[in-house]
Parts: sequence; structure tokens; C-alpha cells
Amino acid sequence: MCGLAGIVRPEPGPDVDETVLRRMASALRHRGPDGFGLALDPGAGFVSTRLAIFDIPGGWQPLQAAGSGALLVYNGEIYNHPELRAKLKREGASFSTRCDTEVLLQLLERYGTAALERLNGQFALAWWQPDERRLTMVRDRFGVRPLHYSRLADGALVFGSEAKAIFASGLLAPEPDLLGIDDTFTLWGPRAPRSAFAGVAQVPPGGIVVWERGELREERWWRPEPGPAGADGDGTAANDAHGRLEELLRDSVRLRLRADVPVGTYLSGGLDSSLVTALAREEAGAELRSFSVAFHDATYDERPHQERVARALGTIHHVVEAGHAEIAAALPTAVRHAERPLVRTAPVPLLLLAEEVRRQGITVVATGEGADELFWGYDLFKEVVLREMHARDPERATAMIDRLYPYLAGGERRGPAWRRALLEAGDPDDPLSSHASRAAATETVRALYSEPVRAAVGADPAMGRLRRELPGGFAGWGSLDRAAWLELTTPLEPHLLSAQADRVSMAHGVEGRFPFLDHRVFALAAELPASSKLAGLDDKVALRELAARLLPAEIAQRPKQPYRAPEVAPFFAPGAPGWVEDLLSCEALAASCLWDPARVEGLVRRCRAGRATGVREGMALVGVLSTQIWHHEYFGDGARPTEAETAEPRVRIDRRGGGRGPAREEAANG
Amino acid sequence: MAEAGVDVRGEVRAFIEREFLYMHPDVELKDGDQLLALGVIDSLGFVELVDEVQSRYGIVVEDIEITEENFGSIDAISAFVGRKQEAG
Repeated sequence: MCGLAGIVRPEPGPDVDETVLRRMASALRHRGPDGFGLALDPGAGFVSTRLAIFDIPGGWQPLQAAGSGALLVYNGEIYNHPELRAKLKREGASFSTRCDTEVLLQLLERYGTAALERLNGQFALAWWQPDERRLTMVRDRFGVRPLHYSRLADGALVFGSEAKAIFASGLLAPEPDLLGIDDTFTLWGPRAPRSAFAGVAQVPPGGIVVWERGELREERWWRPEPGPAGADGDGTAANDAHGRLEELLRDSVRLRLRADVPVGTYLSGGLDSSLVTALAREEAGAELRSFSVAFHDATYDERPHQERVARALGTIHHVVEAGHAEIAAALPTAVRHAERPLVRTAPVPLLLLAEEVRRQGITVVATGEGADELFWGYDLFKEVVLREMHARDPERATAMIDRLYPYLAGGERRGPAWRRALLEAGDPDDPLSSHASRAAATETVRALYSEPVRAAVGADPAMGRLRRELPGGFAGWGSLDRAAWLELTTPLEPHLLSAQADRVSMAHGVEGRFPFLDHRVFALAAELPASSKLAGLDDKVALRELAARLLPAEIAQRPKQPYRAPEVAPFFAPGAPGWVEDLLSCEALAASCLWDPARVEGLVRRCRAGRATGVREGMALVGVLSTQIWHHEYFGDGARPTEAETAEPRVRIDRRGGGRGPAREEAANG
Repeated sequence: MAEAGVDVRGEVRAFIEREFLYMHPDVELKDGDQLLALGVIDSLGFVELVDEVQSRYGIVVEDIEITEENFGSIDAISAFVGRKQEAG
């Protein structure tokens, strides 16, 4: 796990300043605390910061191909690298390291980007072919690892794992991308290739972006589209498929525990992370550590369930308690790492948890992300089922709708109006109707936009932009397949995998791994009959069947409780930090020019009075406050220049004199 | 009986304006406007409105009574409060 960055120019000159590269490395040092390396080519430069997981003494980057002189900087893991290495050896390849980086470079050199489909992993890479002056940037299927780039006016390309590396180059100043912000306040994050910064693009999940002598082209090498689902009602076929699912999940967990460093799991107390922990415990033995977030506020706390699983499985269990003070204090750090506004505070406790994981000497954690998307676990899927039932049998649907969202405030006082509002949300003929009620709740905060933001985004809202870019044939997919695709391509990458996983864990040099997001598990889940996922309102049927054999019954049957953290109280309870009121003051809001001060004042008044208890206002507050923090950190008084890395690089490749041979210098290990 | 001089419409309007209209400064709310359809109040806001009506007018609202017929507009709320107070 690492950070990567670089600059390439259309022509071999002028050369890239090493100090600039060292600043870019410094901006990514949190992703790679173990050291950094750099490479200088005529008119090109590359850096890598490393968190060592495989082949700790070897495996430093940039890595150079012996024949062609190609260079690779890469962030992530190829879990099946031993198998790929063995196959390459049979084809005559030889290796000088034990690291997956070399396997990846040799595959790319032999097969080009056609090799990507052989990879089982989570990665972002930049592959430099000097003779062609071609840089190929790739991201893994679901977008677990980040990669940003910016094409400058002269055709040069600046790229980096995080946008902050691009800004550290001094070649581009941060500016807000108002449509990227607007995406966030509907879809929970900017939709790649858009980012929250103007002029900074993201390589999309499953995407390839090729820059060649100043020209860019983009393609996709993988898409999460549904397969031909198996037919319902065939019990034998379903049993076979569930058996294959168990084998695949076991294999996926086994591959994801591969590391030359100690590993652990995140245990929320829900079905998915408990399943991962159970399978990991079988694989790793009694040394396995599990890590959980607990809350002082009982509304969010899942401690009894976490302890129950840890006891039953026999893991070494660690708990981090997140109180209001800790959440408020750490929000600015979470926003700085996420590099964009947030809609939830939930990433913050995971930042605190990663700190504890690192303190315990653990570098790698497996988690349950992806199961709700693949196996239709969210209540959003049940809304779809009940809305369709409502059209045929309104009484039955109305009687069942109260089973949804039991954890939301006001759940005990619903009544007919609430039921109708949920059952009649969205236009049934709209292919995005599954997400109408979520989008409406998230979009509440858009009413607080300042006039300039309203003018910039008003005519073209995020749902409209998304609607224009749906895959061909989307409207003809099943309604639950459509909902799953929207989950997999909108909140999963920017919110769950980035803001709530990669950014907050890599902030402390901890790598998250996601067994459910193994592409083989995805393919099998896509082929399962619908009734193996959602049967009536019984969710994740195939997973619960497996869990019944591996976990205490109360966990296997436990209803979904989405992981959330307090949103308003940390910032308005007695003892809340003074910067909250400062950033929400009329002056600060007028300075950032993104929000209407008078409207925000209405929200703040309700927050102070303790009346903003609903989901909408909670998200609205986190949206406004995190945007203000983001603005302060990147454009305002909080923005600070990045100091250049002064340590000795572990690898230094200098080919500016034209040589490709012995220019690699490697520092002594130790 | 509704107490003489109590302006239910005015009080409910003031409550809605104070608590919900800050997000909708362009809306000029009329007594007959449908609060849910207009997007002025969402389903949770609806519950908040019910709580306010209960505590302000000392009436008990059953879950089954939380309908748009009773709470959908300022006029509807005023009529509902009147009926409840008469019955009480």
C-alpha cells in the first residue's frame, strides 16, 4: 500500500525539478510512512511513498523494467500475485523481487492492459513507457484505491494518489468544482471522473486513462453490470450456488489475509463484518485481532453485538469509544484527508479506529464493505419491493412499510402520512426512482446554497447528469438490479470506500481490504436468483444461511443497522469546540461564498435548540460544516505550503543523462 | 371547545415559518397549501409538527390520526385541533 505521484511532459524537456517531486512525496507520506523512492527521466518524474506489506526489504518503487525501461508506480495489492508469478515463470519470466509490483509490471509489459482482467486486487497504478512518452493510469474495479490527474495548458500531466500531491507540485492551485460539490449533496460524493476540485479529474473505478505526448483518452476495463440472473424456484441450483459462494468467500478472505505483516478485522457487530471476522478467524487462528467503534450515545452503539461475536469467535478484541468531543475534534482531520465535503460524520470514528489499529502494530484490516450492495441488504432495496407491491396491493404494502428504517428518529411516530410519503416517493417510470427518497433527503442542504452556487448548478442537478450517463439498456434491467448498480456506482466509491475507508485508514498507514468486493464474489452474486438476495423483506438470504453455521444465531438473524455516528450533538453540545461557531458565522460563510448565511442561520438555530434531530438536517449540518472546513483547509487560512521531503530516497533512478542501465541506486536496507 | 381568541392558524404558521421555512425563503405559505406536496415539511418534520400540536394544545394524537387529512395544511391542522378540543 502506497502513494504515487508524478509529472510527465509532452517533450523530453525541460526536466522535472526534483524538489517538486519531493514536495509531492511529502504530501503523500501518510500513505507510505516506511519510505519513498523517486525516478527522473527526461521531461518526466515519478515518486512513490511506501507502506511495506509484501517483500519488506525489496519491493521499493519506482520499479524499472529491465528491457524496455518502462517504469511503474503502484498503490495497492494484487492478492493472486503468487499464482500469477508462477504462471509467468512457466512462460519464461524471471524475477528479482518477491513483491507483487514486479509481477504487475511484467504482466503489463507482456500483455498490456489486457492483463488487468487477470488481477484480483485493489490498486491504482501509473505505467510509464518512455519511448512512446505514454503514461497509462489504471484503477481497480470498484475504485478502492484513489488516483487523480490534471492536464495542464501545455499538455503536461500531473498525477497523484490524492489531489493534495497535485497541489504540492505548485503547478495547479485548488479551486472548488461546484458540480463535484453538488454531486456530493445528492449522491454522497463527486462522481468520477469529476472531483471536488476544478481541473482535477479522477481515474474512474474500473477505468484506464492513457496520456500520450499530451493527449488523453479514457476507457473502462470493467463495469459492475448485472449478469443473467438465475431463475427463482430451482432449489438444487440455489443450493449449489450457495455452496460456491461459501467456497469463494473463504478463498477471498484467505487471499486478503496474505501479507508479510500482522492483520486484523473491523467488527461492527452486524452480519457482514461478523462473517468476515469468522472466516478470518478460521484462516488466521487465535492471533486474529478485531477492532470496533463504540459510541457513548446508545442510539449508535453496537457494543453488545461486537462483544458477543468477539467472544464467540475468540478474537483479541479492541474497542475505540467515540464520544462527542472526539468526533468534533477529529472532523477537520477527516475532511483534510477526504479532500472534499462530507454528508456524514461516520468516517470520523473510523479515523480514530485506524489510529488505534496502527498503535497495536496492525497494518492490514479486512472489513465487510460491499455485502449490502451485492446482496441487497439496504432498506432502500426493500423500498423498491414495497413500492411495486403498493401498486398492486396497497393495503399489504402499507402494513409492511413500518418494518423499514426502524433505527431512524421518529420511528415510533409514523402514521399514515409517513407511510404514504415513502411508498409514493419517486416516479415509478423513472429508472432512478429507487434512489428518489434518499436523494431527496440528501438534497435538503441544496436549499442552503449561496446564489452563485445555485446559479452554477441550478439548471443541471446531479440526478439529471446521472440520468444522461446511464448504461445502455438500463431502463430494461430489473428494478433491484438498477438499484444495486446505482449503489455500486454512486455512494460506494466516494463515500464508503474513499471518505469512510481509504482516506481515513491511510491517514494512519492502515490498509483496508474488502473480501466481498472480490470480482469473483461479485460475478457469483450477480448470477444468484433474486430470492437468494432479497426474498420478500428477508435480506441477504445466501449470506444469512452461511452465517447461521458460523455465527451466534442472534447475529446471523440481526437486522441491518447502518453504521452511523452522531451528526449534530458533537458540534452543539456543551464543550463543543469554538471553531464550529466561527466557521458557521455570517462572516465565514460570506467569505467562502458557498452557502447562504441567512438560511444556514435557520439551521444553526435549530441545531443549538436541539431540534435538528432528523436525518435531513443532520446531513445538512455535516454538509455545511464540512464544506466550511474543506474551504478553510484548501483555499483559506488553513492552506499551507507542503515542505519538500528531505530524507534519502530508498530508490533513486536518474536517467536524465539518457542511460537506462545501472542508474538505479538502492539505499541499504535497515 | 376551542378557547376564544386562540389563533391556531397563526400559531401553527409561525411555528412552521420558524422551524421549516428557513430552507424555503421563496415560499409564501398559504393556509390551504399542502405541506408535504410543497416539500416544506418532510415525514420527520411531520412528526415534529404533530408533537408541537399535541403539546401546545394539550391534545393526544393517535398514530392513526397522523394523516394528510389532519395535518396536510394549516387549515387542516386548525380544523383538526378544533375537532379534538370539542371532543375533549
